[in-house]
Amino acid sequence: MAGAVATGGGGAGALMEKVDWRLAAPLGLTYLIFFAAPFAILLGVSLYSDSEQTVLGFGSWTKFYTDAFYLKVIYDTLKLGVFAVVATTFLAYPLALVFRASSPRIQRVLIFVILMPLLTSVVIRTFAWIVILAREGVINQTLMTLGITATPLNLLQTELGLVIALTQIEMPLMLLPLLTIMNQMDQNLVDASRALGSSKWRTFFRVILPLTLPGWIAGATLVFASATTAFISQSVIGGARLVYLPALIWQQSMVVYNWPFAAVASLTLLFTVLSGIMALGWLGRFAKTT
Amino acid sequence: MTILNRRDLMIGAGALGAAAILPRTGHAAGTLTAAIYPGTWEEAYRGVVAPALKKAADIDVAFDSLFAVDQVAKVRAARGVPPFDCFVLDPGPAAAAQAAGLFEPIDASKLSNAPKVPTGLITSHGVTCNAQVVGIAYNPKKFAAAPKGWADLFKSPYVERLGLTGFQTTFGTVSIIEMAKVFGGSETNVEPVFAELKKAVAKAAAVAAPAAMPGLFQQGQIDIMYTNTNTVAILKGRGVDIEFVKPETGAITFQTTLHIVKGADNVANAYKYMDTAISAEVQTLLQRQPYNMIPINKDVTLVDTLDIKSLDELAKMATHDWSKINPLRAAWIERFNKEITK
Repeated sequence: MAGAVATGGGGAGALMEKVDWRLAAPLGLTYLIFFAAPFAILLGVSLYSDSEQTVLGFGSWTKFYTDAFYLKVIYDTLKLGVFAVVATTFLAYPLALVFRASSPRIQRVLIFVILMPLLTSVVIRTFAWIVILAREGVINQTLMTLGITATPLNLLQTELGLVIALTQIEMPLMLLPLLTIMNQMDQNLVDASRALGSSKWRTFFRVILPLTLPGWIAGATLVFASATTAFISQSVIGGARLVYLPALIWQQSMVVYNWPFAAVASLTLLFTVLSGIMALGWLGRFAKTT
Repeated sequence: MTILNRRDLMIGAGALGAAAILPRTGHAAGTLTAAIYPGTWEEAYRGVVAPALKKAADIDVAFDSLFAVDQVAKVRAARGVPPFDCFVLDPGPAAAAQAAGLFEPIDASKLSNAPKVPTGLITSHGVTCNAQVVGIAYNPKKFAAAPKGWADLFKSPYVERLGLTGFQTTFGTVSIIEMAKVFGGSETNVEPVFAELKKAVAKAAAVAAPAAMPGLFQQGQIDIMYTNTNTVAILKGRGVDIEFVKPETGAITFQTTLHIVKGADNVANAYKYMDTAISAEVQTLLQRQPYNMIPINKDVTLVDTLDIKSLDELAKMATHDWSKINPLRAAWIERFNKEITK
């Protein structure tokens, strides 16, 4: 791979010509070997119609996309990602605003509290949620002691319980980009809005929200991708009543040994996550143009 | 700052090279990589089998912590380049691995402890290292009376506190087959139990992954489940209120087996590893708390913490033919997914 030789001239065009693509070669090759090649193999495996990989065809794709159960699994996986984004958004914005208004000392404490979950394994955090959400767990014991409920609520093995747990688990991924963008925001714009008579809510929706949208989009992208692929949390907290794509992939590849079908489910998960990310990206571009 | 010149570098490199060719003291005569189930099995084999193997044959064993299905998937994916030398498997995955040609044949004459193992437990491709017994586990403080059999799981007050798990594991599959038999089904016909499961799932306390069951029991999320005696003994050892019940139609037994991976690098060491695992000394230690593994060596005197009193009891328990079950299992799993989910 030879580098381009500058042919004179000036400006951006000349600068582009001076770029030596050999600098990008190590990363490019790494991607090619460790992502593109396995992806191609996955695509190839999905083009077998039987688990023994002897019959070529679209049988695995047809089976997956013509069965209402598997379409519902895709829908449920997408829905879980959206719920996690909505829940983390509702909790992250107030916290980010508090952070912004706090003194540097309080900010240091808040940063530690926000980052602390990231220092603990997701497995540990997931099992901690079992202790919290179980019939004899912290929430149920508190509610029953206070006389709010007479019998324990079923929180484990429900979508609500899973969203609650994922909200806490994914919260740092939403908060960190949001805090970064909020710290870069010009306070004069907020002050000007308030001075011109806008209410706090109007200031939030007309000034703060549009200015922090890039940070929210980055956070939402991370939360969506992480929640839809959270195999451990989905399996342990959601249980077998709730079937999502990651558990289906594991089951088909490791228990049933139907690799073509698992490949179809894997590619579906990949495109599901990518479609969510692309939608958020499109929202970002739309926000910039308006 | 220390400046390292070329001469110093050459002297250092030379010294390192000389050290490398010196005879190494304290180095094991051989090595081996063995797959092992995560959790109790790993603790047991690291704590008991590995030291015994080091002492008996001066072999260092490295463990690869994997569930049975993951072991088979990993070896299949490796396509002739085995990631480890020795499998540890339950009947279902073992039958699948056997069908895929992933085992080296076993020569029992290379196992000094083979005569101490009951007939039939060492086959052409596997060595039994432990027996598992499956039945019903319940919390005695939560029910007025103990459940008697599989059918009780589908009745009040048990069904409301039941933890259901599907066909992903050996113990789950054989338990559901035994339930099917109670309702008129057979080893290859689980149709009758699906009708009962559909009714039970709305009332059941949890439908979860097999690995999550002990945790859910410990947290009080479920108070009754189907499991093996090993899990019951471990939970009991941790102070959990739990008792094992042999269903009136009989408990289930199956063997956990060791196998040499096809094309393994250390076949001779794998034999020594298997021989150590089935020795009376090791089996005696593995049956004690906290491991609670049912021994298969005839010279071992059973401890009273096990849920069986003699190895003869195993002969009276229900067993299953996995060569018949495996071809049907994928369809059962799919059906469980579709009918037992929300």
